[in-house]
Amino acid sequence: MRLLLVEDDPLLGDGVQAGLGQAGFAVDWVRDGVAGELALKTEPYAAVILDLGLPRLTGLELLGRLRAAGNAVPVLILTARDAIADRVKGLDRGADDYLVKPFDLNELAARLRALIRRARGEPAPVMRIGALELDAAAHRVSFQGRPVELSPREFALLNELMWHAGRVLSREQLERQIYAWGEEVESNAIEVHIHHLRRKLQPELIRTIRGVGYLLPREPYD
Amino acid sequence: MTKPPRRFSVKRRLLFMLLAAVTAAWLITVLMSYRDARRQVDALLDAHLAQSAALLAAQVGEEFHERDEGEEEGEEIDADDLTHLHQYSRQVVFQIWQDGRQLLLHSANAPRERLAAQEKGFSDAVHDGERWRVFSLWSGAGRPLIQVGERHEVRDRIVGSITRHLLQPLLIALPGLAVLIWLGVTRALKPLTVLSAQITQRDSENLTPLEATEAPVEVAPLVESLNRLFARVRASLDDERRFTADAAHELRTPLAALKVQAQVAQAATTDSERRRALDNVIVGCDRAAHLVEQLLTLARLEPGRPGGHWQRCDLRALAAATLAELAPLALRKHIELELDPGPPAPVDGNPDLLRILLRNLVDNAVRYSPNSRVVRLVVTPERTRVALSVTDQGPGLAPEEREKVWRRFYRILGSGETGSGLGLSIVKRITDVHQATVSLDEGDHGQGLRVTVIFRHPEPA
Repeated sequence: MRLLLVEDDPLLGDGVQAGLGQAGFAVDWVRDGVAGELALKTEPYAAVILDLGLPRLTGLELLGRLRAAGNAVPVLILTARDAIADRVKGLDRGADDYLVKPFDLNELAARLRALIRRARGEPAPVMRIGALELDAAAHRVSFQGRPVELSPREFALLNELMWHAGRVLSREQLERQIYAWGEEVESNAIEVHIHHLRRKLQPELIRTIRGVGYLLPREPYD
Repeated sequence: MTKPPRRFSVKRRLLFMLLAAVTAAWLITVLMSYRDARRQVDALLDAHLAQSAALLAAQVGEEFHERDEGEEEGEEIDADDLTHLHQYSRQVVFQIWQDGRQLLLHSANAPRERLAAQEKGFSDAVHDGERWRVFSLWSGAGRPLIQVGERHEVRDRIVGSITRHLLQPLLIALPGLAVLIWLGVTRALKPLTVLSAQITQRDSENLTPLEATEAPVEVAPLVESLNRLFARVRASLDDERRFTADAAHELRTPLAALKVQAQVAQAATTDSERRRALDNVIVGCDRAAHLVEQLLTLARLEPGRPGGHWQRCDLRALAAATLAELAPLALRKHIELELDPGPPAPVDGNPDLLRILLRNLVDNAVRYSPNSRVVRLVVTPERTRVALSVTDQGPGLAPEEREKVWRRFYRILGSGETGSGLGLSIVKRITDVHQATVSLDEGDHGQGLRVTVIFRHPEPA
């Protein structure tokens, strides 16, 4: 899942990007509000992590513009200010959650997963499609009751396919969700990951729609 | 233990002074009345003596001629019948002397010897230890000498009585007056008592203005001064609180970065990933330490703490030392540090604070300059002042930003630099302490930023 991080502190931004990467997210990091607004216009993000004290365009201004434009992407605010008034202001401007610095990376990842789940109308933290189970928080996948070892990329790819089960996803769409900017993507990377997933799970689980993309049917074998 | 200072009571002092003044005025009045009464009584009784003598002379003159020579001398006349008219009449005596030597006639209460040696007019004499006032009348040889006398005691009694009557009301009025003054002063001082109670009752957090609606003219300025003091204390407390809150918030971001980087290191699956995160933890610690150091520097510079030992310093030598110290930092960014050569530049100040000032200015210039530029220091000793300027070739500051940078924790956002946001606040405080001025403008050719600090020329030693 691809996230946008808008944070001007170099050390914090770097750590959040690396940490959320470890948690299976693809994170794009921009350092000011204007760049954040631009990124949100061009890329479909699963969620946004927003610092408030930003150069050029403050976090709250960016949030206001985002909501005014009808963008419903989940937004989590990161800030050093913890007064109730500050939190209320942030939430009332359209933020979905709030974390005060210093925070725990695991909590940040969990809150982001919860936000994304809620935004997609998926109440259960563990997704099940047929015999396939994916626990995003625990980073675990099992098939027919057996645990399956997946690389972070394979996990992210399967996560995307399961989120959008029953829909065809193009190679570009999948790349966008599992790779952040600046990450090197081999031209056949998605094909390679799909190949590995099929081998580790079941060859016919992921269907290829030639010339369009890939599909994980809502009901396998249908 | 030091002795508590002796306090005086306004009430007691007022009471004492008012009573003393009233008593003094009264006593002066009594003294003047006494002297006036004495004079009047003397004049009146003297006139009475003279008149008595004249009456006697007229009466005796007749009889004297009717008498024969050789009659027994010293005939006594009982004056009782004549002088029953007044309580003081008894005190008046007379003697009639033939040729001044032979007592012809005298009143019963008169002494035997002559009342006075003097033969004409008023005189004072002493008989049997009593003072007498005597009037002598003698028309000349062959005529009888008439002397009328009166004890001084009479006059003393009259004047004494008058004086007593004047003094009595004072003795009665004084205690009453004291009570009235006490009550009046207590009442007048009540606003002070109320004020004192108001201040005693409030807790140390309460710095709201005192109510001064009922304060009299004399107390109102005190209340106003107190309220102004409260306002100042409140402002400085608010400032302090804001600073503490700001400082806490400013520490949160570096702490968050530290925690996140540490967690990344924990969860890292490769060595290079872990090493990178741990390196970042160290950078983060240095950054937090720098922020803490700057906070402490600023706290030490808080108003009311004059900075340490003052001495004559050579600003140029201090600048050279600072550049040497910061050279490694500049080298990493390939920034060239320059100090224009010139004569020593003496200023009066605290060398430690001046070093901090220089370090902050040069550090800022290096931090906000792109790589491979020049940071130039110029020290110019002039006749009345010493100017120090630090010029960089960085992005400079928009004019509207130049006022804001003096605020604590103000950072030029988007500069990509992680300064404490306190450097220029520290510079400002140090220049204030040295009564120097600091200003910002464009660098050479309208590029970069120039910070100019102007010190006063030191007094000749």
